[in-house]
Amino acid sequence: MTRSTRFSTAVRNNIVGLALLVSIWFVLALFFPSYILPSPVVVLAAAPSLLNATLLPHLGITLYRVVMGFVLAFGAGSVLGILAFTLHVTEHLNSFMVALQVIPGAIMGVILLLVLGIGNWVPIALVTLLTLPTVTINTANALAKRNVDLEHYLLSVRATRRDLIRHLFVPALIPTFQSNLSLGFGLSLKVVILGEYIGTQDGVGYLLNVASIHFDMKTVLFYLAVILLLSALFEIAQNFVFAVFLKKYFYPE
Amino acid sequence: MIDRIRQANTPMANDLLTVRHLTKHYGASTPAVIEDLSFSIPQGARVTVFGPSGAGKTTLINILTRVDHADGGEFTLTAVNPCTIFQEPRLFPYMTVEENILLPIKIRSAKERSARAPTTPALWAEYQRWLEVCDLTPYVNHYPYQLSGGMKQKTALIRGFLTEPDFVMMDEPFKSIDLRAKRAIIRHILDSYPGITVLFVTHTVDEIPLLTESVLLFTASRLAEYTVHDSARLKANPMEVLYG
Repeated sequence: MTRSTRFSTAVRNNIVGLALLVSIWFVLALFFPSYILPSPVVVLAAAPSLLNATLLPHLGITLYRVVMGFVLAFGAGSVLGILAFTLHVTEHLNSFMVALQVIPGAIMGVILLLVLGIGNWVPIALVTLLTLPTVTINTANALAKRNVDLEHYLLSVRATRRDLIRHLFVPALIPTFQSNLSLGFGLSLKVVILGEYIGTQDGVGYLLNVASIHFDMKTVLFYLAVILLLSALFEIAQNFVFAVFLKKYFYPE
Repeated sequence: MIDRIRQANTPMANDLLTVRHLTKHYGASTPAVIEDLSFSIPQGARVTVFGPSGAGKTTLINILTRVDHADGGEFTLTAVNPCTIFQEPRLFPYMTVEENILLPIKIRSAKERSARAPTTPALWAEYQRWLEVCDLTPYVNHYPYQLSGGMKQKTALIRGFLTEPDFVMMDEPFKSIDLRAKRAIIRHILDSYPGITVLFVTHTVDEIPLLTESVLLFTASRLAEYTVHDSARLKANPMEVLYG
């Protein structure tokens, strides 16, 4: 598969996924009154008035939190995963991370709100804590599942530790990095919205909270559509990077 | 040569590999795969280890390359630049044929902090010659998943020999390669690396006399006792040598 084919396939899949979701929404909207579930057409018609000057600053704040939380989770998760593998404690760490994953996000959000107070750090810490287990487990497992035959080959040619990292461990991690990015960003966005919904007075989650209190479903669905679009755009961007610059690390088995 | 291999317990100055009382078990309750095995290979000798499947030939190679550990005994390998060609090609899936072949040279060059380029004109010429012998010239920019089993094995062979080894351990390296290509490769090895020491592992009788002069013949399902034979004699009368 060429670079452009791989990228265009990924974009096509994203568009198909979004189209499917909108279609389901459209069909469901036929069975409910507009004040409960407005159709995509109604929301689209209202978009110019909703896309006002208020949304953009809130969107910027949400994005900042997603990026901050995700970078922290991605960095800490990768380091923890690598350490767990190096220190041969992957299984113990997996158990701990699975336990951490079980704690409901809403409960953790309330605890963080009590500890950190209203502000940026509740959604950021929430993203970090909820995304961390996925990134850590995936990283440690990718290293554990490295190609041992290739490791033996490298040792047989007296490769240094640096060679092992460069030619074996980093290539083994790249597909995992992509899935971590893909899963992690979606999860981070969801969690930030939850955190903002619970414990902030800004961001798209806060706007969603206000709109839902007023039962303004048109606005609620518009914000949800913005979040979906944001997620799809990130997916396309990361697919582009991996398809163009790191394509060789994705090969048929 | 045969006599030298027999005198395994009295190592000589020109021995490149000396194996003494090597033992290997897989699990305490299972019989030894390798039991009290001793032999030595003088510099310049080309020796086959021939035995049935599952007799421990690959385990021996793994121990000698330090990929696996022996439970007992020891071995001394005095080669300066040993190289191993494994049973499976072990190519890096994200590297092209050329990148795979040049990888060990680049690793060595980086390790030696060599100021010179990893590929000298002489080495490059040898590389091109190998590609011709193996019919791989059109495939240098292909990735392993785009190659046949034989092509992958040929790539692994070139990668091994291009490091200019003084000792080569080969574990059934011709398994997926057709007879014509196999003969061309062996001829090239014999012509281009006349003084090379070879430890060749196989269970295919036909390959033995093409590449090696002597055979350590194991008949039991483990590496323990063996008899040493002349490869040419094995070729002439395989049934007599193998089954008495």
